[in-house]
Amino acid sequence: MKTVIGTAALALFFAPTLLGPVWAALGEPAASVERDRMMMKGQRQSRTGTGYSIDTITVAGMRVKEYVSPDGVVFAVVWTGTGMPDLQLLLGEYFEEYRKGVHAARSQRPKIRKPFQMKSERLVVERSGHSRSLWGRAFLPAALPPGVTAEDIR
Amino acid sequence: MRLMAVVSLVVCLLAGCSNGDDDSSGPSSAGNVVPISVGESAVCRTINQLCAVITICQPGTSSCQTISDVLVDNGSVGLRVFSSVLSTPLTQTVDVRGRAVGECTFFADGGTTWGPVQVADVVLGGAPAVRVPIQVIQSTFGGQSSSNNPCNDEVDTDPQAASFNGILGIGIFRQDCGLICATNSNNTLYFSCNGGSCTGVAVPLADQVQNPVWLLPSGNNGLVITLPNVPAMGAPSVSGSLILGIGTTDNNTPSAGISVLTTDDNGFVTTVYKGRTFGQSIIDSGSNGLFFPDASLQQCATPLDPFYCPPNAVNLSGTVIGENGSQIVVPFQVANTENLVQTGNAAFNNLGGDFSIFDWGLPFFLGRTVFIGIEGQSSSLGTGPYFAF
Repeated sequence: MKTVIGTAALALFFAPTLLGPVWAALGEPAASVERDRMMMKGQRQSRTGTGYSIDTITVAGMRVKEYVSPDGVVFAVVWTGTGMPDLQLLLGEYFEEYRKGVHAARSQRPKIRKPFQMKSERLVVERSGHSRSLWGRAFLPAALPPGVTAEDIR
Repeated sequence: MRLMAVVSLVVCLLAGCSNGDDDSSGPSSAGNVVPISVGESAVCRTINQLCAVITICQPGTSSCQTISDVLVDNGSVGLRVFSSVLSTPLTQTVDVRGRAVGECTFFADGGTTWGPVQVADVVLGGAPAVRVPIQVIQSTFGGQSSSNNPCNDEVDTDPQAASFNGILGIGIFRQDCGLICATNSNNTLYFSCNGGSCTGVAVPLADQVQNPVWLLPSGNNGLVITLPNVPAMGAPSVSGSLILGIGTTDNNTPSAGISVLTTDDNGFVTTVYKGRTFGQSIIDSGSNGLFFPDASLQQCATPLDPFYCPPNAVNLSGTVIGENGSQIVVPFQVANTENLVQTGNAAFNNLGGDFSIFDWGLPFFLGRTVFIGIEGQSSSLGTGPYFAF
């Protein structure tokens, strides 16, 4: 049973484009969280906080938190785990921007190794951690609900 | 076992090391020392990048080569070497169906490596060879490419662009993934490849890429990184030692006054800085600076913009706290990065930049002796994972 689910999850997890539209989370309606969960074949928990709610998807050593604003838009995602989630799935239309950001960071000279960070008024993405526990977050600064700061996204 | 001893001896002759016998016999051997340095290599030339030379042998043979410019990184686990610098044939690992296993490795700096997992005999300093799965960094493995691969990210293609020939991951864990990858095929790290297509695969602990230190016959409970300090405007280079084992020989026995900070299960410590508490703090020789958030520090202009450029050097301090409640106050300085870079020096103890959590990078290690205890391994300082300094 486990194996069957794992294989199915894998196919979906890594090839979202095979399904037609790219099911995005960041910047998308909250309904996309459920699509992410289905594609990751994960467990989902919801929690309502002040001014926003958090949906947590857990699967295979990975925990993804999606922050949903009162008007139902995913404004941030946070991941922690031994591996990396499918950021194409989680970042959706922002994924290309992220890829360019990674490319720019790798090409920067003088090369000084530091935790990955890209920061614009449109999109912030960070990666940190180490083997066994990688950590990252992405959020849309302009879409943060009133009273929510970057520090709340953990 | 005998074979290993022969290999080790040959390697030692090749590498020109003098203290080949060691380890079980005498506590005064320097066979457990790997020289490390910043600013003294051709490829590994990035600011504050700590590097070493290691030896790799074809398993069970005397066919060996030395590899220079290997990044010494306690933020990762396991040895990774570019295929383009490898002339020694290694043994490919396979899954239960006989398919070649490869791995995606994700680094905090946004870097990603892809390539096959192969078994090598690895020699660190004058210590005996250990047989260990390593990652061969090869973007084309399994019919993949730098932009199209299971890592879903741009992966490293060559040593020059990466600024290292390999990475020696000597972090606080035994394997780079652990139980998650032994039990889940959708672990996002390990894949097996067949006919140009790669799918996720569960990999037993023993076949995962792992820390060569914990596989040593002795001195396998951790390691010590010791580096001298440098002047305020930096130094062209700095040299120190990576010493294998903790409390197993004279040269790795902690002096009085060392405090032990155990980490949480994820290898993190906590840092309190200016009244703010940062969980998920890392102590990471592979980071080239001290990274933490402080809005009162002026940031540099592009292209050095995430780095700090205060007009004058600023004295600061942070308190590092372990899972065991032990805490150590760490005074440090942040200088003007632009001025530092202009010196042309390579080693700086005061290079800092902005990030949302605390990353104690290489400047932390300068002028300090840091003990890194490997998970589940006991030592005179306790059982790992821990940092002690």
